[in-house]
Amino acid sequence: MICIIALAVFSILAVFSASYRPLAAEAFDCVFRKATFRKCRTNLDQRLKSQITGKLLTKSPGLARFVYKRFEILSWIFVILFIASLAYTVYGGYNYALYGNCYGPEDNGGFCIYNALEGEQFSKIHAELEGETVLPTADDDPAMGPDDAKVEMIEFGCYMCPFSREAQEVVKQVLEKYGDRIKFVYRDFPIEQSGHSDLHMASNCANEQGKFWEIHDLLFTEQEVCAQTTGEEREKQVQDIAEQAGLDMAEFNACMKSEKYEDEIDKDFQDGLKAGVYGTPTFFINGRTIIGPKPLRAFEKIIDEELEKAENGS
Amino acid sequence: MGLNVEGIRKDFPILQRKLAGKPVVYFDNACQSLRPVQVIEKINEYYKDFPACGERSMHKLGKKVDEGVDKARKSLQAFFNAKRTEEIIFTKNATEAINIVAHALDLSKGDVVLTTDKEHNSNLIPWQLLKEKGVKHEVVEFNNLDALNDKLTKNVKIVSMVHTSNMDGTSIDAKEMIKAVHDNGSLFMLDACQSAPHKTVDVRKLDVDFMACSGHKMLGPSGIGLLYGKQDALSKLKPFVVGGSTVSESTYSSCDLEKPPHLFEAGLQNYAGIMGFGAAADYLKKTGLDNVSAHELRLNRKITDAVGDSVELLGPKNPELRGSIFSFNVPGLETHNVAVMLDEAANVMVRSGAHCCHSWFNAHKMLGSVRASLYLYNTEEECDVFIKELQKIVKLLS
Repeated sequence: MICIIALAVFSILAVFSASYRPLAAEAFDCVFRKATFRKCRTNLDQRLKSQITGKLLTKSPGLARFVYKRFEILSWIFVILFIASLAYTVYGGYNYALYGNCYGPEDNGGFCIYNALEGEQFSKIHAELEGETVLPTADDDPAMGPDDAKVEMIEFGCYMCPFSREAQEVVKQVLEKYGDRIKFVYRDFPIEQSGHSDLHMASNCANEQGKFWEIHDLLFTEQEVCAQTTGEEREKQVQDIAEQAGLDMAEFNACMKSEKYEDEIDKDFQDGLKAGVYGTPTFFINGRTIIGPKPLRAFEKIIDEELEKAENGS
Repeated sequence: MGLNVEGIRKDFPILQRKLAGKPVVYFDNACQSLRPVQVIEKINEYYKDFPACGERSMHKLGKKVDEGVDKARKSLQAFFNAKRTEEIIFTKNATEAINIVAHALDLSKGDVVLTTDKEHNSNLIPWQLLKEKGVKHEVVEFNNLDALNDKLTKNVKIVSMVHTSNMDGTSIDAKEMIKAVHDNGSLFMLDACQSAPHKTVDVRKLDVDFMACSGHKMLGPSGIGLLYGKQDALSKLKPFVVGGSTVSESTYSSCDLEKPPHLFEAGLQNYAGIMGFGAAADYLKKTGLDNVSAHELRLNRKITDAVGDSVELLGPKNPELRGSIFSFNVPGLETHNVAVMLDEAANVMVRSGAHCCHSWFNAHKMLGSVRASLYLYNTEEECDVFIKELQKIVKLLS
């Protein structure tokens, strides 16, 4: 069984080094013979078994014994894993070609495993939506930084999304590093199925009192607690957070009760969909996308390029 | 006087190196020995200083080649105590030497050839294939004089026996066997591949008619061997590989054949190999074969005492009867697997399989054995490494 893996590995290595070609041929012969229910003529499987056991003998005799005695079973396990991972790779590639992410159309909270550094295009996830994709604007949403900053970074985030929470740390690092050179806008993109637009409502109500960023940070900090509560308990939890943010509670409660920001939140969500957003967090940096909680260097690369472009006047 | 093993080891460049961070423990000497720097330099000397033809070119370089070849032939004559240098014929290996005798001896229908049951394929197949000429090949038990005498008839033209078995290291009582064969009026050929590197093979004392051996098992280069033939015996051979060097004169319809050894050394020779072979013989002679065999026996005894009972030993338990060879099987494990594991674990290089003695293993319904074969540069420390790794394999995997 190990010959199947050997065939794949040696075949790839043979592309780069001629010394692996005889081994690849040997592995092919072995696989072919086994596929036709004959004994491997070259004993490649036995040789690999002995080589692996021999190497382990000096390091861990017990493990060497385990591997030697159960080599066939282990080989089967590795072959199954190998085939499964190969199938998933092909499936991921198919999804990427069709949907722009590796998880497929059903994925609502996941993120493409491909580094967004190279993903300077809209996701095709909502290709079924009518009309052209439209780049989002800052609209009238909460923002930090000067309006005339050279770089505008818009985040579509969800307070219940663990990935959005994870990204906040990097966002802070970005803002700290670029200061006045960047304008950061936060737009609501509550994931519908979860039914938690109350948190987004709370942040909009806090914005009325000029305390948006305070509650924004607290909502992410308390995300896990919020996730565990429902109904009245949840309402109480939101009020506690509002209190911690230093809000006038009467004003806040009235705002929440009126649900007057429902349209605003829905507009953000629709704008996100039009821009091709299919998960959170999704960032638009001067129109270039970063999907998912990517490392600082991913943001730096795009921001630096945009700053350079602005400085060169292009 | 014992061997200065540390001093000897310095002569072998490969022993100064490490592979994968570990020293090389070379226990595959029955297949091919390592080469000392003296032999390597001798080979290089030919290619660097006088890479020309021998036996035909009258210029200075050609003469240097002739001198080198003559010197090597003399070294090997002395090494085997042959009466004349003309009795030493260079071949590419022992296999070719045996084939020369098998094909050049005028055997015909009804003639019988005897070999033992422990022959290497090289001393079996050449005789087997003579059945196409009607020559009968028969097998006698290894080192069994009675069995030999039972088979010796007037039709037996030649008896060809291995001196020391490459499978298990056991040796025949060559002198007794040869006497019996000569008493029957037959010729005797000795395959000395495994004996010549380790102990004195005195062709005159043994009174062999033919003797074959290979350079690569006795510190010499690969691709060189020799056929010793007593002058009388050589005169009975009809050369079958002929051409350049084998004739002194020729016309379109006839030729004057040379005398031995040139009669059997057709075409340009492996001059570098011949000179290297001579240097190897000088090295062994200087070291002293008695010292070599005593050293090997000491190492073999150490290994046998440590692991002889844990494995299925091939041949007698007494290491004195096995010389430099420790051949064995680990119950439940394939021979190649054991060899690969020893190599991977500690660079212990042994041979595995049937050692070209398929006939014996088939007759005994065995697949083969693992063979550790020792030589003058091996040490007790190397034996310790081998013992330790083999014990692990036996304990954990068998």
